[in-house]
Amino acid sequence: MPATTFRIFRYQPDSSEPEPFHQDFDLEHEEKLTLLDAILRIQNEQDGTVAVRYSCRSAICGSCACKANGKTVLACMTQVEQVKAESGEEIVRVDPIGNFTPIKDLVVDMTPFWEKFKAVKPFLIPDGPAPEKERLVPKAAMEKIANESKCILCAACYSECNSLAADPEFVGPAAFAWGYRFAADERDGQRKNRAKLYSGEHGVWDCTRCMFCNERCPKGVDPRDAIEKLGSIAFQEKVTHDKGARHAKAFLISLRSGGKLNEILIAPYTDPIGAPFNAPLALRMAQKGKLPKSPLTHKVKDRDQVKKLIKNVKETI
Amino acid sequence: MPRQFAYYPGCVAEFSSKELNATTKALAPLLDIELLPMPAATCCGAGDVAEAKPNLYLTLNVRILSEAESMGVDILTICNVCTLNLRRANKLVKDDPRVLEAVNEELIKAGARPYQGTVEVTHLLWFLATEEGLSLLEARGPKGLNGLKVAPYYGCQLLRPSSVMGFEDPDRPQSLERLITALGGEVADYDSKTRCCGFPIILAREEVALKESHVALAGARDAGAQVMVTPCPLCHLAMDAYQRKTEQLMGEEYAMPVLHLPQLIGLALGLPTKTMEFKRHLVPVDEVLSSVGA
Repeated sequence: MPATTFRIFRYQPDSSEPEPFHQDFDLEHEEKLTLLDAILRIQNEQDGTVAVRYSCRSAICGSCACKANGKTVLACMTQVEQVKAESGEEIVRVDPIGNFTPIKDLVVDMTPFWEKFKAVKPFLIPDGPAPEKERLVPKAAMEKIANESKCILCAACYSECNSLAADPEFVGPAAFAWGYRFAADERDGQRKNRAKLYSGEHGVWDCTRCMFCNERCPKGVDPRDAIEKLGSIAFQEKVTHDKGARHAKAFLISLRSGGKLNEILIAPYTDPIGAPFNAPLALRMAQKGKLPKSPLTHKVKDRDQVKKLIKNVKETI
Repeated sequence: MPRQFAYYPGCVAEFSSKELNATTKALAPLLDIELLPMPAATCCGAGDVAEAKPNLYLTLNVRILSEAESMGVDILTICNVCTLNLRRANKLVKDDPRVLEAVNEELIKAGARPYQGTVEVTHLLWFLATEEGLSLLEARGPKGLNGLKVAPYYGCQLLRPSSVMGFEDPDRPQSLERLITALGGEVADYDSKTRCCGFPIILAREEVALKESHVALAGARDAGAQVMVTPCPLCHLAMDAYQRKTEQLMGEEYAMPVLHLPQLIGLALGLPTKTMEFKRHLVPVDEVLSSVGA
């Protein structure tokens, strides 16, 4: 029978020991044991004050996300022995999810997450009067949003989002997965308004593409892909004022004009107002030969093919 | 007979970070690799074209794969972002014949060669961190790194999403560590080696990006590293060119030289320092060079 030491994050601000610390609990257990069952056994058998949030125990309520040896998981769908094998560590360290403020032990204050979720208007807003009967939707139309519809709001993506760690106001991956789920729903009438709503200062163009959200999502939602598709919707709706969208436009201009990135163009086109303030860096880079001497574009062979593709290929999101 | 690859250096290594391209080309014969040029290859779109126009991104990247296929060889990259974009496009068309057919229709209409789906895309790091690669390095009898303390920095897009990249455990990668150790260096380990450098948003959201690169730079510094090494020229720009700006924003000092992966290998194999164009770095690497006796 395996034995495991669980090193659990403890934080009881109302207790006589208000500072956070880690506490070890030893458990003998069967080969098969989920991390949530381990925490609940510790709570039942060793220390009833260990606080953890959970409900369904079957990976559908999204309550029990935590970090196991540094990696965000749903505790109820993670085997203890698997954590040990993957991390190569005998001790299982259990921490609250990241990018949140802990309230008590493994329980965090989810308020910012829910506020951002509400802010993307995660519900259908149809245009025009209500139909007399139900709205029929072809299967293919729902398949476009099937992935995002699987989100259980567990915040595993939010926990390790690198943009959020640097900008706590970033709306974040889960909320945008829901944003896409409604923006691309053909019953919704707010596609352009949603594109505008999601393109603000802490919006879709804040995503740094670290891909942690896709990696961590326990349901295969791929939130980064949803953010990418929201970018595409913004382009289709011509909501391209944001610096992030302008950055993407500079790539399209480069491709059209020569096929490769035009480095003279990219900074001033992305941020025409801010770029001059970066002159000292540009000068230092120029001194080191890091900026091109000529504004001419780099031309690839057969670039008429590229031009034709840019002209012909239709977007389908 | 050298192993042939269709060489896709990517825009940054060809222009801003020419030192990476120059070093890779100088290194290739020492590693028994022949790098075949891809004259028709465009930019991969860097994730930006995928965001603005996903179908166009896919078609352009499949056009690049098709050029390599016409040469009868796999693609070798030296940039995380190019690797992800090309591999992702390759997976999308290989996984679904209907997608491949639709992309090929567009390629044919534009006069480009349709793709059969036979090309693989690999990064120089992945090629070298295998048994085959390590034995190639060993065969050169490296003069070594003289115990240089090197912080491996992976960045994001060579690791994640692992469903597309899949070379190693994205949470506990070891490829850079294997190379550093094999070349006689010492690994400075730190948690933030797999976090983002912020470069994709550095022009649109500079402050957010610099706060991200701070986490990696501070991690390497606190681990006692003399130098960082990265397989990605975008990470290099964020860590090297923007390092002073990050220092100013965070009120901290890193004084952290950053090497491109081929430069670290070049130092260990005794490539002339002039060839590796260290003068193009913004953070000086003089102490690193003297530490390894270059």
